Amino acid sequence: MTATETELSAPPRAAAPSLGEPPVRTVRRRNRGRSPLVPILFLLPAGLCITVFVVAPAVLSLIGSFFSIPLAGGSWGFVGFANFSRVLTDPTVQQAIGNTVFYSVITIIPSLVIGLGLALLAESVTRGRALIRTALFLPLTANLVAMAVVFDYIFAFQGGVVNQLLGIVGVGSVNWLGDTSTSLVTVALVGVWRAASFAMMIFFAGFATVPGTINEAARAEGIRGFAKLTRLTLPIMKPTVVFASVVTILGSVQVFDTINVMTEGGPQGSSETILTETWKLGFSYYDLGSASALSFLLLVVLVGIGLLQRRVLAGSAR
Amino acid sequence: MNARVLHASRWILIAVAVVVSLFPFVWMVRTSLAPAADVASGRFWLSSFDFGNFARAWTKADLGQSVATGIIVTLSIVLLQLVTCVPAAYVLAKVPFRGRNVALGVVLGCLLVPTQVTLIPLFIGVNLAGLADSLPGLVVPFMTSAFGIFLLRQQMMSIPDGLLEAARTDGLGHFQTLRRVVVPMAGPGIAAFSVFSVFTHWNDYMWPLLIARSPSTITPPLALAIFQQGDTGFDYPALAAGAVIVTAPVVILFLVAQRRFVQGMSGAEIPG
Repeated sequence: MTATETELSAPPRAAAPSLGEPPVRTVRRRNRGRSPLVPILFLLPAGLCITVFVVAPAVLSLIGSFFSIPLAGGSWGFVGFANFSRVLTDPTVQQAIGNTVFYSVITIIPSLVIGLGLALLAESVTRGRALIRTALFLPLTANLVAMAVVFDYIFAFQGGVVNQLLGIVGVGSVNWLGDTSTSLVTVALVGVWRAASFAMMIFFAGFATVPGTINEAARAEGIRGFAKLTRLTLPIMKPTVVFASVVTILGSVQVFDTINVMTEGGPQGSSETILTETWKLGFSYYDLGSASALSFLLLVVLVGIGLLQRRVLAGSAR
Repeated sequence: MNARVLHASRWILIAVAVVVSLFPFVWMVRTSLAPAADVASGRFWLSSFDFGNFARAWTKADLGQSVATGIIVTLSIVLLQLVTCVPAAYVLAKVPFRGRNVALGVVLGCLLVPTQVTLIPLFIGVNLAGLADSLPGLVVPFMTSAFGIFLLRQQMMSIPDGLLEAARTDGLGHFQTLRRVVVPMAGPGIAAFSVFSVFTHWNDYMWPLLIARSPSTITPPLALAIFQQGDTGFDYPALAAGAVIVTAPVVILFLVAQRRFVQGMSGAEIPG
């Protein structure tokens, strides 16, 4: 039985590289009782949806950024790079870009470090591991709007539990979400709370990919603790580390839900980010051309991050 | 001595992490049961439980209607995604044909394109199609998922070729092979992706915010956000009760499906 299976599976695999002009016998055997149309039919629904709902809109977004687009329909007017120069010189947009960079910097590194630390902690205990893991994964599932509502209350100026606790230690109340100097940091705290949980799940899954022999060898050589982590585990888990980094970066750069519910970008634009600004440009001021330009700039950054990831991984393969 | 200090500090760290992780959930449930007087006076421990907060949230935020909408929309999206993603993933994983690498490249490329970038053309398109403020308008743009195709393909790659050969020898066509061999074997991945998709679309806020207007199309997160930004002022207990209602379904689903979810998602790493 096993021999038959191996024999049967061999020809198609061998024939695969020469698909251009395959031997007649192989073709007949491969297609016995099977229509070559079926693979196409299988791909068609997904292919159509991806073309219509992802590829075409992304391309239109690029094209649209060179036009002025009337919301009610009607003809587009070509404006060249005017949308790009308008958004890039707009002080509000500049502030939003600066805020996004700041928000990303203060969420990405802490989320990854805390996520890795939590995964290591949860991995290191035997008693109650499943329970601890569940508790630490929970932020990942949270509905961001619901959590934003809850955090809004936790950080409320009056009656918020954070200010109450500060009051007990004798520190005066802080207007966390209502002050230009703290609003973005406060939303970022929620971001870290969530992203660390996501990073932890990815690292946790990644630990499972480290071969047991590596751990044994490390034990035999007496490599432990921090040295083992930086010199053995993390290099082996490089794909996991890169994946966790990319997920965290993409999540931070695209922050929207929490900001929209907790601060609506305020006060005075102090927590406005690229996405909330794109939203306002497009759907509050109906300047769809400028919104397209800004969202296209964001796409360029995201694709850049994606390409960088592939480069890093390709480098590690050699 | 040193080992004991290490042991103790490890448990302290775990305790802190668990408290920080769970605190918002605990505080949400606590506040959802708080009598208005306790919230007004800033009382830490509740004097009594007030379940009326849930009734107030349910009626004022119209959560009954929006929960029904949320269930219909989420389940429709997940079903359609399975119907489109499973066959595509099978072909991309196991059926060689010319141009397969190109197709795979397109899927991987789409992983990098977030909904937000496609938002404006999608919005214009949905409006032109007359689907704004309708249930199909909430569902149609998410009929397939590049992430789903990618994740399921990763899982299907590990199905032994010999098994598919055996199915072919037995005279099974592609469709029967898919139904009787591939789907059962890719079960964990399909389950994990379904759970992930439920999370994503039950929790989605941006797209409904854009196109839902009337009570029959408003989804739970949107209903909660509208409730918060409306004239309720600072009715924190009712808001928290609403947050509980919106959060509970996904948290329960996660607790039930946790093990499979985490295992199934581990294949999601983008290969080097």
